[in-house]
Amino acid sequence: MARDIPEINAGSMADIAFLLLIFFLVTTTMDKDQAYIRSIPKKIETTIPPVPVEQRCIMAIKANNKNQLMVRDEIMTDPDKISERIVEFYTKNEKVTGTNINNFPLYTFSSMGYINGKIDETIARAEKMEAEEFSDEMIEFTYSQLAEWEKKKRALKLYGASTLPEVDQTANIRIEVQTATNYSLFSKIHSEIQEGIYELRNKEALRLFKESYTVIEKRFNQDENNEDRQKLDLLEILYPARIIEVTPKQ
Amino acid sequence: MSKFKKDGARKVPGVNTSSLPDIVFMLLFFFMVATTSKEVDPTVEVTPPTGVRTTDLTPYKQRSEIDFLYLGKPRNKKRAADFKMGYALSLDNVVTNVVADELYTMNAVGTWKKDKFDQKAARVNVPIEGVITCVKADEGAPTGLIFDIRKQLQDVNGLKIAYAVRDNGVN
Repeated sequence: MARDIPEINAGSMADIAFLLLIFFLVTTTMDKDQAYIRSIPKKIETTIPPVPVEQRCIMAIKANNKNQLMVRDEIMTDPDKISERIVEFYTKNEKVTGTNINNFPLYTFSSMGYINGKIDETIARAEKMEAEEFSDEMIEFTYSQLAEWEKKKRALKLYGASTLPEVDQTANIRIEVQTATNYSLFSKIHSEIQEGIYELRNKEALRLFKESYTVIEKRFNQDENNEDRQKLDLLEILYPARIIEVTPKQ
Repeated sequence: MSKFKKDGARKVPGVNTSSLPDIVFMLLFFFMVATTSKEVDPTVEVTPPTGVRTTDLTPYKQRSEIDFLYLGKPRNKKRAADFKMGYALSLDNVVTNVVADELYTMNAVGTWKKDKFDQKAARVNVPIEGVITCVKADEGAPTGLIFDIRKQLQDVNGLKIAYAVRDNGVN
């Protein structure tokens, strides 16, 4: 004779679930961690003096102990305007070939033939270095140069024009602060740089791909699509973010 | 003689609560999915500044490729004078002075970063250069201290730094 299995009283199930719910409510947060990611230069000991950079290639943003701002040797009272100055810095000579007397970085325009020539030249040099048994670091460096040129080749193909405009290799954004400058101003400078660069890249992304930079970036982060990688590479070549943070003197 | 019989006090039927656990479980799962577990409560006070166009660090956090450090005024006001410029560094709840004192020679940030890296080396296969150090600094914190941290990180080859801000929403 089959005996009835007594039913389990599930009345306290809700209590248990509530307990768990409250535990999770207390121990977790909903806010995201958001930040500006920057790289610190690798520590190298060298006796070679650094290559002097032309004044026109430096976008210096300075802040002093009293949190006063100076952008390109001009006093600035409104930090919200920095992004505009960054856009100006990159776009002033963008359409200009040859030398120009103004104080902004120059552009070079490389054609497909020129890039192909450079690729062949670098391959030849790498082979020569391997044959002559140079140090591994030297050979590795040459290969990284080769990769750069190949990246440029792909970028130019995607760009669709006859030449690839590139801002001066030494053009950089330099943040010079003093020890007592507030972190809020320091992060504001980073925020403005990000905003300026975003504006430039976004404009180009909309023109070339009819999509915003954020959309491409987000999609790439999700599926690491090769096509998107190339689009991002092109935009990064057009408007590179070379940010130098100068250590303040004590 | 009435059509309607009044048979005394009638009982209100009880509400069926058998689906209550289901509802609560649903809420529970929602919170488990939508939130991330909290870091340790820092022993320093940090009010982050705001900024735009930030990078979301959640993917790095999920891969545990990130270490957090906090820079702010110590919660214990009496101790403020003990620290350089009144700001203390909170490394996983151990307050260490950023620079000077005896702790300076211990290379506090450097050793902390190295220890953290050694602990995760087994499952996270990124080199130390790739592990981001996220500095959560108070808006009033002097940048000089941030550069001190940078210097220490450079010495141990932790070459990625993230400056935490609160994104004020424009996207």
